[in-house]
Amino acid sequence: MEAISHAGGAMSDDDLVASEYLTFTLGSEEYAIDILKVQEIRGYEQPTLIANAPPFIKGVINLRGIIVPIVDLRIKFNLGTVEYTPFTVVIILNVAGRVIGAVVDSVSDVFSLTRSQIRPAPDFSGTFDTKYILGLATIDTRMMIVTDIERLMTSADMELIDSAAE
Amino acid sequence: MTIDMSQFYQVFFEESAEHLAAMEGLLLGLDIENPDSEQLNAIFRAAHSIKGSAGTFGFSDLAETTHILENLLDRIRKQELELRADMVDAFLESGDLLREMLEAHQGRGAVDPIAVEAICSRLRQLSTGDEASSQDSPEVSAEIVVPEGPGPLAHRKRVFDIQFVPTEISAKGDGVANLLDEFRSMGALEILSQPEAGMHDVGYWQVRLATEACQDDFSDQIDFIAENGAWRVVEDMSVSNDGDSAFGFFGDSPGAPDEDRSYGFFAPLDSTSLEDDASYGFFEPMPSIVAAPDGPSSTNEETDGYGFFAPLPTPVAASPGLEDGDGFGFFAPIPASAESDAQPAHVNAPLVVQGALPPKVDSAEKLIPETRVRSAKALAPASASTDSSIRVSIEKVDQLINLVGELVITQAMLLQTAGQMQESAPERLINGLAQLERNTRDLQESVMSIRMMQISFVFSRFPRVVRDLSSKLGKQVELKTSGETTELDKGLIERIADPLTHLIRNSLDHGIELPETRIAAGKNPVGTITLKAYHQGGNVVIEVGDDGAGLPRNKILAKARERGLPVSDQMTDQEVFLLIFEAGFSTADQVTDVSGRGVGMDVVRRNIQAMGGRVDIESILGVGTRMTVRLPLTLAILDGMSIAVGAQTYILPLSFVMESFQPEIGDIKTMSNQARVIQVRGEYLPVIVLHELFNIKPSANDFSQGIMVVIDADGIRAALFVDALVGQHQVVIKSLEANYRRVQGISGATIMGDGHVALILDVSAIAGMAKTSVQKAG
Repeated sequence: MEAISHAGGAMSDDDLVASEYLTFTLGSEEYAIDILKVQEIRGYEQPTLIANAPPFIKGVINLRGIIVPIVDLRIKFNLGTVEYTPFTVVIILNVAGRVIGAVVDSVSDVFSLTRSQIRPAPDFSGTFDTKYILGLATIDTRMMIVTDIERLMTSADMELIDSAAE
Repeated sequence: MTIDMSQFYQVFFEESAEHLAAMEGLLLGLDIENPDSEQLNAIFRAAHSIKGSAGTFGFSDLAETTHILENLLDRIRKQELELRADMVDAFLESGDLLREMLEAHQGRGAVDPIAVEAICSRLRQLSTGDEASSQDSPEVSAEIVVPEGPGPLAHRKRVFDIQFVPTEISAKGDGVANLLDEFRSMGALEILSQPEAGMHDVGYWQVRLATEACQDDFSDQIDFIAENGAWRVVEDMSVSNDGDSAFGFFGDSPGAPDEDRSYGFFAPLDSTSLEDDASYGFFEPMPSIVAAPDGPSSTNEETDGYGFFAPLPTPVAASPGLEDGDGFGFFAPIPASAESDAQPAHVNAPLVVQGALPPKVDSAEKLIPETRVRSAKALAPASASTDSSIRVSIEKVDQLINLVGELVITQAMLLQTAGQMQESAPERLINGLAQLERNTRDLQESVMSIRMMQISFVFSRFPRVVRDLSSKLGKQVELKTSGETTELDKGLIERIADPLTHLIRNSLDHGIELPETRIAAGKNPVGTITLKAYHQGGNVVIEVGDDGAGLPRNKILAKARERGLPVSDQMTDQEVFLLIFEAGFSTADQVTDVSGRGVGMDVVRRNIQAMGGRVDIESILGVGTRMTVRLPLTLAILDGMSIAVGAQTYILPLSFVMESFQPEIGDIKTMSNQARVIQVRGEYLPVIVLHELFNIKPSANDFSQGIMVVIDADGIRAALFVDALVGQHQVVIKSLEANYRRVQGISGATIMGDGHVALILDVSAIAGMAKTSVQKAG
């Protein structure tokens, strides 16, 4: 959030501190999330269905004894073709004290980005609310959407958490 | 050399709290008319232990109060004073005060010094109030030898040889000095051996006590300050019985009238040996000091014999058979060696004794009937030590349970893989896996049992509750408990205490009538509250029953109408009675400080439901009421039946399953063309179709292809339609809410043998869903 407000301002020490970001693709779009929120990356396995759950919640899997819900971000944001192949990737996220799996098309890179490299995103309306977007970053010619994954996953939209679900 | 005592404070607090609880339990169990001396002794011991450790740790207020308490107890147990009900009250009150003091020392709350002073003076008054009835004073003259002949065993002086090695902590904290004072108050004390002055009482002690008390009276006290097993008490029978100056252990041989001098260790009692023979016992340290004057003379005599470890019968049998009455027993008579070694053996004897180690003592004990008595008496402390426990944080236990849960899953996974290999799996692998399964199950059971506690932990507090409350209300109530050994998960034990207390208070206040009313109704003026715990299926059932007035149906209905609750006269008794669990509901005519505000019963039900249990009421007006609390055995593991619906597997908690059957198409009838019902054993049950409820594509196209499972949740019965029954498992309950959220109809999740997640059905919620849908339809 602060990145947006500071981005246009003078360079401060803060701006020089680089954070690592993991990028993944959904359809043709490339997203970047704070790597510290990522617990692990694993292949997709058929989850156990949860009755009457929204379609983007695929179900729950057993991650070494922990029950982890799986969200398919492609369905949620209507991006890319939804198919499950041996190459389908699940990013296991550790956000807000919870473990959540997110299905994406592919995981591409890990980048270092300083705050000054993250530019504010223009306001637009769409399925992907701008409040979850920290900004846009450019590496070479690729544009990456830097996402506040914690805020996204704990939001009421995702229907993952009781209190937020109302 | 100072020890930081504060590191032991926590142990002291915990121990003292346990002693206080034990004391209270024993006090409540006392029959005032005819108190059991064992119980009195146990109460005394509890008080004494608190006093001892409080003194050691420097909590003088605790020590002083317990000291006064102990004095009174001591006089009662010596039958110098009659036990009276007001004494028990005073004991209980002082117990409460002691608990407050303990709390205060732990930084919680404060003690009212006036109350302490009041109870102390009351105890003092009680202990001095009845001086006339006191019998013999505990003071005993130093005279050891009192020829009494074979009189009754009860009131004769006995001599004990006591050897102990105090623990470092107790020795440094005046423990030994206190113990010796204690001995002196019991009778004549002679210190035979003590550590050097610079050792702070740490070391080997040997004392001789002549007293009228029995061994049990002081053995606990020795046990308290001595290291485990590092003490022993042996009664010197010879001295007490025959006035013989011989200091043989357990007297000397029976051949005494003859010239013969057999010196048997543990030789039998002999009432006739009156001559001044000097007997030297192996385990008898006395000769070195007491019998010293006799020593030289006796060793000069040819006929002196020294028996070492001579077993009881041996001297009797051996002495006639040996020439000239020389009896030498060294387990077996070995005259030559015994005679020639007589002198050195005599000299060595005390040394050997002092160096005697417990194993050696044990071996000697095996030989001698007399010492068996001692070892039998020693059983009490022995069993106490086997009851010993270690305190482990509950987190560690839970972690262990989780790990074992994982192991169970992995094991099941392996087993399934091997099963799929079928014939290609080597037999040794199959056997190994079968063994692994057994071991895992045993491991799981024992790990789960760590968390299990006896329900007596909760029950033990109720005698006090009933006692206090009934006297406050002017009612006469007897509490009967059964099934205290029923085991329940610790988490549940802690949470069931408050609801149960509420139920009992409720029974006392509203159930049991006043004595006059009871007599008028032709009942025993003493009401009974029964508290019962037992296992039923996968549940623990706790019943709180009373033989009181019962629940007034009409009054409850009237009250409910008054409060605007939706009620009708058609409601069943069960439904009417359950109204008392509504918030703010009370039929009490007046509000007492015990109950009647209508707060409580709703909390009771909420708490019990939160534990996954339920509460039922049965009542007959004028006869009594019984409240039944049903709780799951544990919160972590569940006996479940796995069922298949479409491609999904669900777990149905087995405790809810009544029966299952395969329906015919025609069995299912509709009501208003919407709600489906099926007749099971003459009863129409609503049909819940699980795949419709969960929006799953079923594999069974019509009812005849699936299975109906009759479920019973909180008295609501329904038929659940599923595709197939798969099997029965013990499943480890995992929370779905930890990373996801609550799902209606699902109570949790578990991991199946193949590593997949299966959801556990929330039967109550599903039955509720069916009820609402039927009501909507109706």
